[in-house]
Amino acid sequence: MSTAIGLYGVSFAYDTEEEGQAYALKDVSFEIEKGSFVAVVGHNGSGKSTLARLLNGLLIPTVGRVKVFGYDTCDEDTIYEIRRRVGMVFQNPDNQMVASVVEDDIAFGPENLGVEREEIIRRVDNALASVGMSDYRKSTPFRMSGGQKQRIAIAGALALCPEVLVLDESTAMLDPKGRAEVMGVVRRLNREQGITVIHITHYMEETLDCDRVIVMDGGSVALDGTPSEVFGRGEELKRYKISPPYVTWLADALARAGLDIDRAIYTREEMEESLCRLLSKD
Amino acid sequence: MRDVAFGQYYPVSSPIHRLDPRLKIVFTLLYVVTMFFVSSYTAYAVILIFLLALCGFSHIPPSAMFKSIKGIIILLILTSVLNLFFYGGETSVVWQWWIFKISPEAIDSALKLMLRLILLIMGTTMLTFTTGATELTDGIESLLKPLNLIKIPVRDLAIIMSIALRFIPILIDETDKITMAQKSRGADFDSGNIFKRAKALLPVLIPLFVGAFRKADELADALDARCYNASPKRTRMKKITFAVRDLIALIVFAALVAFVFLDKYLIGGADTYIVKLFNIIVEFFKGL
Repeated sequence: MSTAIGLYGVSFAYDTEEEGQAYALKDVSFEIEKGSFVAVVGHNGSGKSTLARLLNGLLIPTVGRVKVFGYDTCDEDTIYEIRRRVGMVFQNPDNQMVASVVEDDIAFGPENLGVEREEIIRRVDNALASVGMSDYRKSTPFRMSGGQKQRIAIAGALALCPEVLVLDESTAMLDPKGRAEVMGVVRRLNREQGITVIHITHYMEETLDCDRVIVMDGGSVALDGTPSEVFGRGEELKRYKISPPYVTWLADALARAGLDIDRAIYTREEMEESLCRLLSKD
Repeated sequence: MRDVAFGQYYPVSSPIHRLDPRLKIVFTLLYVVTMFFVSSYTAYAVILIFLLALCGFSHIPPSAMFKSIKGIIILLILTSVLNLFFYGGETSVVWQWWIFKISPEAIDSALKLMLRLILLIMGTTMLTFTTGATELTDGIESLLKPLNLIKIPVRDLAIIMSIALRFIPILIDETDKITMAQKSRGADFDSGNIFKRAKALLPVLIPLFVGAFRKADELADALDARCYNASPKRTRMKKITFAVRDLIALIVFAALVAFVFLDKYLIGGADTYIVKLFNIIVEFFKGL
């Protein structure tokens, strides 16, 4: 598998008035494989959002390089090529829509790129179908639920025909139903259209069926691995102020209490199975 | 959400809704100008019939159109009353008390002013009733295109306008939320004199503005992320085209404007002829 996005020794500092520069990211390096589904977690101030904005050149690293499909985000000539390939969905659905009508909002991206009219219409159709919102083409986002608005925002990014989709805490402001809607759409896009997804979140349940979880802490990568590798660490997670999914926490607690149970349990089904096995053993 | 009177759109499908927005904008501007040349009651009646026909074709209930004058009713009464008592022209006074005079000329003038204002408001609301915000901005963008030649960024202006329209309901919503939050903490917005009330609004306005700036910041990122300014040749999904129905609308509207001007400058007010005609008919029946 080839690399979609690579960070090489990236640091990023904000200018602050009092202390000069404050580092939001310190020497972060990792590569993201094409077609993978990666979750980035971490408590507030861990550098998650800064990381997201570095991935499509909204921010340029102070030190180091960010390469997107071989293009360097420092290079101003190719910045739009990067932004076209890396679609981004933000936290507040209301603050990322430019038009009062759904189809006009989705057409905004391809219009900016100078895409032909017929092709724009085709892209709007496809994008709306991909997020299951075809019936809302002519309506206004104002009266929609958060989950619906966020799906429109995803469609807006999809209209650019991106290869990577970055979700910057896009589920944070949604209710459980809206979150499930958005996650369903994103998973399908990853599986069916092969779009690489980088999902920044603080809901651990959303990370369980990802290919990889990156835990950020204090501007650096603290843990990096598959969900079972990361959440199998149990107590160590507390140091990074993240709480593992409930079942994983339960497994860890049971194991500490002396039961013979695998600590790396991270779905309800696995938990049920392990408990049944334990009970039948007695 | 409170109803937003400005830019109220009546979302139905009709030939009027589908008219070229540029044409509708130009018509509305011309309509406003033309209204100041209307000189006879006949012409006012013709315009009212025109507006009612417009309602019919655009599937908008006339009552919705009449409701649009609700906002200016005080202004309407005030100007008519002032006009009635302080008419400046030559008058044949019938009733006088102190500085107040009433004359047939004053009544005529006050009545015409009132009709003019009413028809002005009703006519212009028909534009916002039948034209969505996006079409409106598209239309204005297209009309202002020549300004590109003198380096005025018309496209950016259109996007600013579109975003402003989009954020009106969001900001109103936000204001409601902040007001409720402040009320729940004991803020009092409904008592005291006007200065006290204005001062009480300060704790609403400050978070509103701070929030608006934060929104603007995020929106800027969102615009960048969606390749704003990527290509000098920005394309459009919606093409504004001039169709046959636009031509028909043009002819009808031109006829209306022509009638108003003919009525004023050639006929000199159709009313006198109608009165004459009426008198002849009366005489005719008396003769029988």
